[in-house]
Formats: sequence, C-alpha cells, structure tokens
Amino acid sequence: MPNYLLLLYEDPSGWQKLSPEEMQNAIEKYMAWTKKPFMVDSKRLAPNVGRVIRSQGGKPRATDGPYSETKEILGGFYAIEAADYDEAVQRTLDHPHLEYGGTIEVREIYRR
Amino acid sequence: MSPTPDTSVLLDHLFRHEAGRMVAHLARILGPAHLDLAEETVQEAMLKALQTWPYQGLPENPSAWLFRVAQNSAIDAVRRNRLIGQKTDAVVAEIHRSTKIEFADPDFEEQLRDDELRLIFMCCHPAIPRDARVALSLKIAGGFSVREIARAFLMDEQTIAQRLVRAKRQIRDQALTLEMPKGPELQKCLDSALEVVYFIFNEGYTAHEGEDLIRQDLCVEALRLAQRIAFSSIATPAVHALVAVMAFHAARLPARTDEAGELILLEDQDRSRWDQRLIAMGFHHFDRSICGDQVSEYHVQAAIAATHARADSMESIHWPIILELYDQLFAMNASPIVALNRAVAIAKVRGAEEALAAIVPLENDPKLRDYYLYLAVRGHLLLALDRHADAADCFRNALQRRCSDPERRFLLRKLSECEPG
Repeated sequence: MPNYLLLLYEDPSGWQKLSPEEMQNAIEKYMAWTKKPFMVDSKRLAPNVGRVIRSQGGKPRATDGPYSETKEILGGFYAIEAADYDEAVQRTLDHPHLEYGGTIEVREIYRR
Repeated sequence: MSPTPDTSVLLDHLFRHEAGRMVAHLARILGPAHLDLAEETVQEAMLKALQTWPYQGLPENPSAWLFRVAQNSAIDAVRRNRLIGQKTDAVVAEIHRSTKIEFADPDFEEQLRDDELRLIFMCCHPAIPRDARVALSLKIAGGFSVREIARAFLMDEQTIAQRLVRAKRQIRDQALTLEMPKGPELQKCLDSALEVVYFIFNEGYTAHEGEDLIRQDLCVEALRLAQRIAFSSIATPAVHALVAVMAFHAARLPARTDEAGELILLEDQDRSRWDQRLIAMGFHHFDRSICGDQVSEYHVQAAIAATHARADSMESIHWPIILELYDQLFAMNASPIVALNRAVAIAKVRGAEEALAAIVPLENDPKLRDYYLYLAVRGHLLLALDRHADAADCFRNALQRRCSDPERRFLLRKLSECEPG
C-alpha cells in the first residue's frame, strides 16, 4: 500500500496557554491517534536548529531562519498507509493536531 | 471522579499533580522569590512532553522524564539569567545533585513529599488573604491554570490573576519562606491550610451534573492536598478528621444525581452507588482522628458523616445520635447552614413542628437571604405538616433565589407535590 507523509506544522506559542491538565489531554489524544493501524512511522524534529543552506553566488551558505513569513514551524511528521491520496486525506481529518490549531500537509511518498 | 477515556495512557491528572510536585521541588531550591521561574520551567517541561511523546512514544517513566527535563531547564535558566546572584553555582549544583538521584529512590520520594508540604504551607500562610490563599494553592501546589481556577469558581480570569499577583506580592513583602513553621506558628498555619482545603472541597461539592467537570476536580484536589498533610509527621487528629469528612462526602457524589441528572436527597440515595473505596478511606482516617482530647468541628462533622455511612439503609440511621452531634456542632459554630442541617435532624427525632420552630430565627439571616436552601428546608417541613399552601409558597419563593439547574428542577418537583390531589 502507498505511504503518505503527514507534515505537522504548528505555532509553538499556541501551546504555551495550555494548563498541565489540558496538555495531558492533548497528549492522550495525539497518542490515541498514533495507535491507529495504518501508522507506519513518526518522528519529532528538534526545535533548536534554525539554519537554511542555499547557494549564494555559486557558494553554499548557511543562514539563520526564519524560512517563511508565518509563525508556524514544521514540528514533526507521521508516515501512514492509505490506498490512495484521498484516503490518506480522509484518515488525517480527525487528527487532534487540527483541533489544537495546527496545520497538516499530506504528501505521497513515491515508491521505487 | 472524571470520566477516563479508555485509550488513556497516563494516570488521571498526572500532569496536574506532577506540576505541583515539580514546582515544590524547584521552588525549595530556587527560593520562594523565584516561584515564577519554577512554574515556567515546569510548564516548559510539560510542553516538551507534549511536543515529543506523540511522535517518539511514551517514556518508560513519564514522571521521571518530566522531572529530569524540568531540572535541566531550570539549570539552563539559572545559568542564563544568573538570577540568584552569587548563589548561582550553589543552586545549579543543588539541582544537579538531585538529577543524580534515582527517581524511584525512597529518599527522593520523601524529599518530594516534604517539598510539597512546605509549598502547601507557604501557599496557605495566614498572612495571605483567604481568597488569594485558595487561588495560590490551586495554581502553585495544585497545577491548575488561571483559566481553570476561574472556571471552577465561576469568576473571571482577571479577578483570579489579580489575587495571584497579590498573593505573590505578600510572599515577597512578608518574606515568607519554605521553612516548615514551628511551635504555635505551626498550629496557626495548619489551621489555615485545613481551612483552605475544606473551602476548595466545598466549592467543588456544591457543583452539579451538567456543570463544568473542573468544579468536581476541586474535590479531588482538596482530598489530595489534605492527604499530603495527613501522611506527614505534622498531622494532627483534626487533619484526619477533615480527610474523613471529605472522603465520606465525596463517596456520595455518584449517588447524588440519577441517570437523568436529577437531584436525589441523601435519604433517597441508592447506597450501593456510594464509592466504597472512599468510604473505606473515610473510616480509616476517622479511626485515626479519635485520639488525643482535641475535638474540632471536623471531628463532629466526620462523626455525622460516619453515622450516615455506617447505616445500611435510611431506616437504620441513628437520628438521635445525629441530632446530638448537630447540637454539638452548633455549639461550636452557630452558622445558619449548620442550623438548617440540625433542623432536618430535629424533624426526624422530635417532629417537623419543632424543627420549624428551630429555623424561625434564620428567616432574616443575611447569609441565607439570596439562597434557596432556607426556603427549601422550610417548605419541606411545612409539607410534612400537610400545610400544602404554605409549603408551595416557600418552594415558589425558593425558585426566585440562586440555585443550579438540578436544584431548580428539584424545587419544581417539590412544588408539584404541594398541589392538591
């Protein structure tokens, strides 16, 4: 079955307002979602790296972020299985990340 | 007391409780002037859990993980801000030392219990106004947020935030410390802490079905705080009496309403729905409260609740004993609420006529004026005396007062019982 990458973007300042109880509830909801049978992999990205490397005048140069205008950053990703792109989107619709104001980008991973 | 989703992977209220313990631990090391830093550090640790666990999975020991992260982030913050002045190195060394201790080490557990107790006592210090003590205890020792406290007390966030600012100012101005009070000071602080705990419990206990669950969480938190004190070396018989009162009352919470959310009076409650674990806890602490010669209001209240819990049906309740206890309680605290409860016992022992006479002096009590309870009890007694029209007047008037939705529906039911035929 094809695999899809779910890229989870979030505004980290949004979390700050949650109480310990609300954070626990959020963790419970996220973790319940990761127990779904179509889950393949999941990884969190460390928040403390912030450099973009691009070629400037023919030389690669590393510059500090920000990389985009929005406050949202890529926080982590999940890989899931789905029959086709529509099903992948369908399976993502009930992800708690959306309830907490995050954004999810769904991308198909090409197979060899 | 709150419904647990069957998929849950963490203990109920784990974060809230651990927040209190972690703040207590860090506040002792950083000093009470840096409570805010302790809180921020703990918040940061929980945020990190929220950002990593859903992707990397649950750590083997979530509590230990949270502590480690909070300790490291406290070390970073102290180094970064050099907040503690010259003591920076000593503070960092102290936090560092505690990170080396195995989390499950009984000595560390004991240290944490001691830290938590000191924090509770500082939050409940008599130098802080009571409202602020309540808010501070829930925020700092209980891990509630300002928004949650505001919701639980049906107040706006601004008011709660101001109380917290005032409380923290008192801590600085009065130079309150996290040292355990000693001698006569200890008794005063203990009384104050018990008062705060009981206030929190009662606020939660008056909440009803359909209301925000956070209000019932207050009962859980009050019991937890009281148990912390009860299991410490400074526990007095009165502490055990208070835990017993709260445990007995909390045990009845599930039976207080039926499936439709309708209020059920104590006498009509299905006793099989009482929480047996809490009843057992109540008796355990009640037994431990009966030593020494001190008899507090909590003792008398616990004795009343124990008498109810001991009876296996409404018919087997020993009302003369309950009335005697209410007489004793009334002699210690002649509050109108105690008087109303006593009247119900008088009605059982000596009839509704005498009970009615006993509550006459309460008619114009300013504490009861805006409250439905006096009129409801009066109506109840009048109904027992077959004075249907007078009873109906009482229930109609009670409906004009402040009451929750289940209470309103209860009064309407009583009102319909007054109709002839």
